[in-house]
Amino acid sequence: MSTQFVQAVWGGILFGSVYGLMALGLTLVWGAVRLLNLAHGAIFVVGSYVAFFVVSKLNLPILVALPIGVLAAAAFAYLMHLIFIRPVIGKPGFDNSTLIATVGISIAVSAAAILIFNPEYKVIPPIISGNFTLSDVQITKQGLLVIGTSLALFALVYLFLTYTRRGMAIRAVSQQQEAASLMAIPVVRTYGMVIAISGALAGLAGVLLSPFFFLNPNSGFNPMIQALIVTIFGGLGSVRGALVAGFVLGIFESFVEVYYGVAWAQPGVFLLIILMLIVRPNGLFGIGEVRRL
Amino acid sequence: MLEVKGLVAGYAGSEVLHGIDLEVNEGEGVIVLGPNGHGKSTLLRAVTGLLSPRAGQVLLDGKDITRWRADAIAAAGLVHIPQGDLLFPEMTVTENLLMGAYHGPTWSERSARLGRVYELFPWLKERGGQLARTLSGGERRMLALGRGLMSKAKLLLIDEPSLGLAPITTQQIYASIHKVKESGLSLLIADENANHVAGLADRVYLLETGSLVRQGPADELLRDKALLESYLG
Amino acid sequence: MSAQAAGAVGVSRPQLDQAAAPWRRPSIWAIGGGLAAGIVLPLLLVRIDIGTYLITLLILFFVQAVVAQSWNLIMGYGGIYSFAQVALFAVGGWTSGVLVHSLGWNPFLAILISPLVAVVAALGTGLPTLAFHELARVFAVTGPRFISGGGYGLVTVQTFQFGDAIGDQRTIYLYYLAGLIFAIATFVIWRVIHSPLGVAMTALRDSETYAVSRGINQFRVRLVLFAISAFFTGLAGGYSTHYNGGISTTIFDFPRIIDLLAMIVIGGWGTFGGPILGAGIVIGLNQYLVALGDYQTLILGLALAGIAVFAPQGLWPLIRRLYENYLAPEPLAPAVEVSPAAPRDTTEEL
Repeated sequence: MSTQFVQAVWGGILFGSVYGLMALGLTLVWGAVRLLNLAHGAIFVVGSYVAFFVVSKLNLPILVALPIGVLAAAAFAYLMHLIFIRPVIGKPGFDNSTLIATVGISIAVSAAAILIFNPEYKVIPPIISGNFTLSDVQITKQGLLVIGTSLALFALVYLFLTYTRRGMAIRAVSQQQEAASLMAIPVVRTYGMVIAISGALAGLAGVLLSPFFFLNPNSGFNPMIQALIVTIFGGLGSVRGALVAGFVLGIFESFVEVYYGVAWAQPGVFLLIILMLIVRPNGLFGIGEVRRL
Repeated sequence: MLEVKGLVAGYAGSEVLHGIDLEVNEGEGVIVLGPNGHGKSTLLRAVTGLLSPRAGQVLLDGKDITRWRADAIAAAGLVHIPQGDLLFPEMTVTENLLMGAYHGPTWSERSARLGRVYELFPWLKERGGQLARTLSGGERRMLALGRGLMSKAKLLLIDEPSLGLAPITTQQIYASIHKVKESGLSLLIADENANHVAGLADRVYLLETGSLVRQGPADELLRDKALLESYLG
Repeated sequence: MSAQAAGAVGVSRPQLDQAAAPWRRPSIWAIGGGLAAGIVLPLLLVRIDIGTYLITLLILFFVQAVVAQSWNLIMGYGGIYSFAQVALFAVGGWTSGVLVHSLGWNPFLAILISPLVAVVAALGTGLPTLAFHELARVFAVTGPRFISGGGYGLVTVQTFQFGDAIGDQRTIYLYYLAGLIFAIATFVIWRVIHSPLGVAMTALRDSETYAVSRGINQFRVRLVLFAISAFFTGLAGGYSTHYNGGISTTIFDFPRIIDLLAMIVIGGWGTFGGPILGAGIVIGLNQYLVALGDYQTLILGLALAGIAVFAPQGLWPLIRRLYENYLAPEPLAPAVEVSPAAPRDTTEEL
């Protein structure tokens, strides 16, 4: 196997896991709550900065910072739900209001991050450091961890939605809200739970990915845009779609990057998406409006 | 057990119910008869919290539940089987049934109830793994009924059990409601056909343009063909 | 018989159809007064100390208000989320910039081409979305040198020249040109909103299934909307290039989108006057808030979120109500502006 090929495959799987990890939270919230959460990147940043704070200011190991960052992200997402989402649930114009509110929150978060810390790039240590080479390609252990975590979380979320009482309730709420409330399922609390879970996923992504991308007040933005693209590609609201689309786009991007140069990676992905949306306007696995979790 | 006092409800711009007084006692089968569009569904929706009443009170065992959210009312034992079934379309028959028992029980209790519902509707068991959206009208109705029975209901509110069904399916549905009634559950059924509910009813209310115009024991009211004719046509 | 029928229709009309009133006319006095004030204003302003600065602010306002209105047309009225407005602005700016900078055209001629290219770009991708924004950015940065100017944009594009006018005189001419673009765009968008097409697009937004079943051609309505929206955005982009003397890739930066979004949200999403009002407010406030640095962004973000959730209709309905209560000679007909609080399709109905 040529070095280039191994490089492209490794990069693709890594990109795919990263995109999938971010897209999972987005698609979950869209599927259940019908909320296009453009603050997903901001929640990512909240989780990362909290972890950074724990590591650099409190001098605790990263393994302690990780759960704290994840919890902080979940708490932040839940707070966002309480203040900005819950008041408009069930009201007409829900989608507009929440879309703009999440944009506002994401601006506010990055401004707050600049004010509290500073705009400079921060470094979060990896959970496991070190690497080894395979056909002259450097494989980082943190990269392997990200791939493993991403796949494991997809499996967990799938099992949660399929086999647990609360997971099933999330699907029920997303498919027929009125019937769900007649089954004694608390709709608003279920929404809150989904948003908090999605927040935890974003926070986890933040702490795991920051060693690769560095951390700055806007570092959640690009992963979120990628995730949004993956989610649209895979079909909004589809968990399976997010997984497949993450890997398809990740591998595609990586191959374009390795064989045609970095400059073509992004345009290539966008062209692929535009083509795909012409063929399947609702994404790979989306079946239009009716599609829910 | 259920007491409704002076209930006023409606939708944006129009009042549909103009002060309803109604009660259902333990173990009783109460029927609200009325033509289409006179507020039967609105009544059930206002009672179970899908619609918030503008005035009046809903009491369950003496407790005021008027302003409770729908899920809290359901958890308290008022289980509403709505018009149009409102199944979870992308979930299987079994999953739909399990959601009926969302509140309260343990998983073993849940599967016990599942067994009882399967006994009542053996047909549902055969279709356990099928997605709800692929069912026919009659099958959907049975599933909706079965899902309601999965809960620990004190009172089952059924909205037009036979709406849009073929005569043979209608018969099956009412037969199964009969079995439910025999098991001792209280029922509040909204219907427009007096013949269907004859055997189920202990008491009957007649609803016309948002008001209850007559009430009385079923064997008295339902036998009065002239009266029924004048109201239901 | 038919006369009677017509009479009956005539009677019931105000009640029935005001909400859709394509025939509604604004007051001649308001338009005339507005135009006259717009023409006289710069002549008065140059006489005071900070007048030139105020005029440049007004120019900025005109340009941004055109873009905000165009965006509101497809997002607020059309109900289509599109984040490509800034990219269309850039396409217009670049078109004109390239024509003048690399091909030696006259700027006045070149900005007439800008809107056309923006329309082609919008319709060509069929879907002016964020993907389009990213593609445009990549192209602007990495494209051939005569387009990219080496990665930073076109930095020395010839500006508008009005004979040999300089200083305040030239600023006033620039003001009039911007004002003209603003007036035309505002008029056309007003016409569109109050035309059958406008009614069709709000119908599509509020209940797509129903609108389509009543024979509204969704594809055609949206195509026309995109075209109009892209046209004026491109024109504003072209103007902007020759006003600033260049166009830089920083135009694609996120804050640009946010500022525009803030204008629409603060002014009133899906209302005619909202984006104009919002453009005024955001540009005005920015002059003061800019001193606050990052606190400005923090405040803007929280304000956006708060207004979106707690006053989703923005400030425009408030202004309207004040006008109706205190200034209007007689009650105004209900506005065509349907707030975001209009009922929407739900899958439950399907």
